[in-house]
Amino acid sequence: MKIILNGKNIKCKEGKTILDICKEHNIKIPTLCFIEGLKPEARCRLCLVELDNKLVTSCSTYPYEGCKIITDSKRIRKARSINAELLMAGHVKTLSVDEMENDLYKVIRDLGMTRIRFEPIIKYKQDLSESIIRDDNKCINCGKCIRVCGEIMGVHAISFQGRGHYEHVSPYNNHPLNNVACIKCGQCIAACPVGAIYEREHLFEVIQALKNKKKHVVVQTAPSVRVALGEEFGMPPGSLVTGKMVAALRKIGFDRIFDTDLGADMTIMEEASEFVKRLKKNGPFPMITTCCPAWIKFMEHFYHNLFPNMSSCKSPHEMLGILTKTYYAKKFGIKKKDIVVVSVMPCTAKKFESTRPEIDSDVDYVLTTRELSKLIRYSKVDFKKLKDEEFDNPLGISTGAGLMFGATGGVMEAALRTTYEFATGKTLKKVEFNEIRGIEGVKKGTIKIKGKTIRFAAVHGGSNIRKLLKEKDKYHFIEIMACPGGCIGGGGQPWPTTKEVIKKRMEAIYKADRNLPLRKSHENPAVKQIYAEFLGKPLSKKAKKILHTHFVKRSEF
Amino acid sequence: MQILRKTNLKALEKAKKLGAKKVIDILKKKNLTGRGGAAFPTGKKWEFTLNAKSDTKYVICNANEGEPGTFKDRFIIKNNPETLIEGILIAAYVIKAKQAFIYLRGEYDNLRNLLQKTINKVVKKSGVDIKIISGAGAYVCGEETAIIQSIEGQRGHPQYKPPYPAVDGLFGKPTIINNIETLTNVPQAILFNDWDPNLRLMSLSGNIANPGIYELPVGYKLTDLIKKAKPKNKVKAIYFGCFGGCMPYSKIELTPDSICGKNCIIGSYTIIVVDEKQSILDTALSIAHFYCHESCGKCTPCREGTIRVCHLLEKIKSGKATKQDLEILEDLAMNIHETSLCGLGQTSTNHLLTALEFFRKEFEEKLR
Ligand code: SF4
Ligand code: SF4
Ligand code: SF4
Ligand code: FES
Repeated sequence: MKIILNGKNIKCKEGKTILDICKEHNIKIPTLCFIEGLKPEARCRLCLVELDNKLVTSCSTYPYEGCKIITDSKRIRKARSINAELLMAGHVKTLSVDEMENDLYKVIRDLGMTRIRFEPIIKYKQDLSESIIRDDNKCINCGKCIRVCGEIMGVHAISFQGRGHYEHVSPYNNHPLNNVACIKCGQCIAACPVGAIYEREHLFEVIQALKNKKKHVVVQTAPSVRVALGEEFGMPPGSLVTGKMVAALRKIGFDRIFDTDLGADMTIMEEASEFVKRLKKNGPFPMITTCCPAWIKFMEHFYHNLFPNMSSCKSPHEMLGILTKTYYAKKFGIKKKDIVVVSVMPCTAKKFESTRPEIDSDVDYVLTTRELSKLIRYSKVDFKKLKDEEFDNPLGISTGAGLMFGATGGVMEAALRTTYEFATGKTLKKVEFNEIRGIEGVKKGTIKIKGKTIRFAAVHGGSNIRKLLKEKDKYHFIEIMACPGGCIGGGGQPWPTTKEVIKKRMEAIYKADRNLPLRKSHENPAVKQIYAEFLGKPLSKKAKKILHTHFVKRSEF
Repeated sequence: MQILRKTNLKALEKAKKLGAKKVIDILKKKNLTGRGGAAFPTGKKWEFTLNAKSDTKYVICNANEGEPGTFKDRFIIKNNPETLIEGILIAAYVIKAKQAFIYLRGEYDNLRNLLQKTINKVVKKSGVDIKIISGAGAYVCGEETAIIQSIEGQRGHPQYKPPYPAVDGLFGKPTIINNIETLTNVPQAILFNDWDPNLRLMSLSGNIANPGIYELPVGYKLTDLIKKAKPKNKVKAIYFGCFGGCMPYSKIELTPDSICGKNCIIGSYTIIVVDEKQSILDTALSIAHFYCHESCGKCTPCREGTIRVCHLLEKIKSGKATKQDLEILEDLAMNIHETSLCGLGQTSTNHLLTALEFFRKEFEEKLR
C-alpha cells in the first residue's frame, strides 16, 4: 500500500496502524494508554495525527491507499496539548515518582507546554494495601493497570467504576485492594505511566534500622536485582552490576551483605529432594514450584485443587532470612532479636509475603529494586564510580543455578540439574536446557531419569498460567512465575520494563551463569556446610521445620 | 402518517417469497436510509451482514433514545409496535438470524410490557427469539458499539471502528443494528408501492403551543414547521437536538436538509425552539450538564473536558470570567469535538460552538 507520510511517499504493509508505521520510520508520537501487543483502547487521545485533514488517534487507526498522514502540525500540537493539559489538571503531583519517570511530564515537556489553565480537582482517596498503594488523585484513567491486571496477569482485580468524570480505577464495589483477589504482583505499578500506583515503601524503616547502633542489619539481594539496578543509574539494560551493588550496600552501612542466590540453591536442594521423593512414590504430579509469592496467592485464590501439587518450600529469600536468624546468628553469637533482615527484591508480592502468618517471616523489610536505587541516591553514593566488591561469608556464596532463578525457566533448569544427579547418582553432562529459556509464554521439555520420561514446563504471566494449568496433568514438574519474564520482569524493577529490556536482563543472567565456576546448587560449598553443620540433610526434620511452609484457601473475589 | 401504517405480517410474507437478495434490492431501490442520523443506506448495511460468513448472526434494534427533545421511539412503540417487530423479523429472515435484541432505554420501562405483548403475539412460530434488554439509562449506549458491549454484559463503552458491527458485532458475530424508525420503515417500504422515502419524523419541543411528533417530507420549509408549532414568543434560535447545534431563527429560510452547516447537523430531526425570553447561556449550561452527566468516561477530552465546559460556563454566568476564559472555552469545545472517541463526545460541543458563532454577544456581555 502506498501512503504519504509527512510529505514523503512511502510503501507500507497492510494491517499496520499509523502508530506502527511511524515507529518503523522513527517518528516519535506520544502515547499514554497504548500497550504493546494488546488491542488499543484509544482512551488518552494523545497519539493524535492528521489523516487527510482529520484528527485521528494513530494507535487505533489504519491507513488506506493513497492517504495523507501528517504527524506534526500546529493543529496537532494544540489538540495534544489540550488533552495533556486536561490530564495534568486531574493529576496531583506528589513525590512518590521521579519526575523523570512520569510519562505525562515527558509528554508535556516534549510539547513545550508552559501552563495548565484548569484548576486541579481532588478526586478520591488513596487505597493503602500491604504492598500496593493506589492514589486516585494521580490517576489519569489510562486504563493500563486494568488491562495488564486482566489481560496479561489474568487476575481482574481492578476495573473502572463510575461514569464520566466519576470514572476511577478500583476493585469491584470500591473495596480496598487488600480485600480482593489481588496477587500483589505489582504489574499494575510497572504499567502506570504516572506513578498513581506504587509500592508500599519500607525505606524509612530500613534507614531507621541502619541508624540504630544496636541493630545488626543484614541485607540480601535477589538474583534479578543485579541485572536491572544499573538501569536506574543510566546504564544500558542487561548490565551486570553485582560488584557495584555490593559495594554500594556496604557504603550505605549494612553490616552483612548476603546473596539470595544461596537461598535459591537451598530451595533447589529441598525442592529437588521433594521431587525425587515424589518420583519414588509416583506422585502427586505435577509438582509445582513455590518461589513466587504472587503465584502462591494466585493459586490460593483461583486454584484450590492444586494444594497437593504444590511443593512446600518457602521462597529463597525467606529461606535465607531464617538461616540468617538461626544458623548465622548461632554461629557468630549474635542475638536473634538484634538482627534485622532486609531483602532487596524485584518484587512487590514479597512485601506481602513477609506479612503472611503462615510463614511468620524472618525477613523484616523488603525493598524493591527501585527503592534500593532511591536508598543509594539518598546515601549520596556515586554508583557508577564504585569498585566491585564481594558478598560476605558465610551466606554469600552461590552458583549459576541460584542466579538463574531470576529468569523464567531458570528455577526449572536449576532444579533439573540437581534432580537428575540426586535421582540417578550420575553427573549431568549437558547442564543447559535451552528448550526452557527465552520469553515465550509457555516452554516445555522432557528429560529421561532412570528410564522414565519426565515432562517439565515453565510458564510466566498469569494468563499463560491459566492456559497451561488446563493441561497440567501432562506434566511432572512445572515452574510457575507470575510476572512476565519471571522476576527480571517483576513489579519492583526499574522503569520501563519492556519486552526488549526483559530480553537484555535475561541474556545477562545466562551469560553470568556460563561464566560461573559452580553451576549446580548441590555443589555450592556453603550449602554443603549448612547441611553438615546445621540441618543434616534435605527434608530432615529440622529442614522441614524451618525451610517449608503451607498455604491457605482464599476467596475467588 | 406513513409511519403508522400497519403491514400485518404481509411484508414478512412477501419478503420470504422474494428471498434475501431481492429484499435488499428493494430497500436499495426504494432508497431507505438509516434514521439514526448517519443516513447510511439500510440495504447496503444489511448486505454487508448478509455477505459476512458466519453461522450465527444477530439483529439489534436500537431503542435507546436518550437525546433530550427526542421522543420518536416512544411514539412508534406506542402506536405501531407490530410493524416494528415485523421489521425486526424481516431483518432476521434476511441474514438468517435466530436471535434478536431490542435495546430499550432504561427510562422506557413502562413500554416494555407493551412491546413484550406484541412480541408474544407476532413472533409465534417464526423461529426467531426477540429479547428486550433494558439499558441502564446511559445515553452513550445509543452508540452502536456501546450497545453491543452492554448486551455482552460489559461496561457500555464505545469502541472505535472498524471493525464495524455489520461484520464483527455482538459476540464477534455479524450484526445488524438499526433504530426503531428505520426498522418500522422496512416492512412499509417492502409492502407499499406508494411508500415515500422522503418522509421523516420530527420531534418538536420548546416553548411552543403544539409540541409533538410531525411527519414531513425532507425539504419542507423549517419556518413553516415552526409556524405550525405555534411558538409562544418571538423565536430566537433553533436547536437541532442537543448534538445538532443551533441556528439563529433569522437564518432559517432553508429546508431542514441543507442546514448541515459547520458544526451543525440536523441529525435525527429533533427541533427545540428557544425564544427571546430564554437565554442562550442557560441553554448551553443545561446541555453541557447533560453531556457531562452522560459521558461514559472512557476518553480524555470527553471525560475531563465536559466537566471543564460546565465549570467555565458557570464562571461566565456568575460574571467572574474573563476574555481569556472564553478563549479557553472555545479551544476546549473544539478539542472535544475533534478528538473524542465516539459520537457522544464529538457532538457534545456542537451546541456550544454554534452558540459561540451566532450568539457570542450573549457570552461576552457577561465577561468581567
Ligand atoms: S498487584 Fe497484580 S493482581 Fe494486584 S491489582 Fe496490580 S496487577 Fe492486579
Ligand atoms: S492507575 Fe495509572 S495505569 Fe491505572 S488508569 Fe490510573 S494512570 Fe493509568
Ligand atoms: S467521547 Fe465520551 S462517551 Fe465517547 S468514549 Fe469518550 S468518554 Fe466515552
Ligand atoms: S495511545 Fe492512542 S489514544 Fe492513547
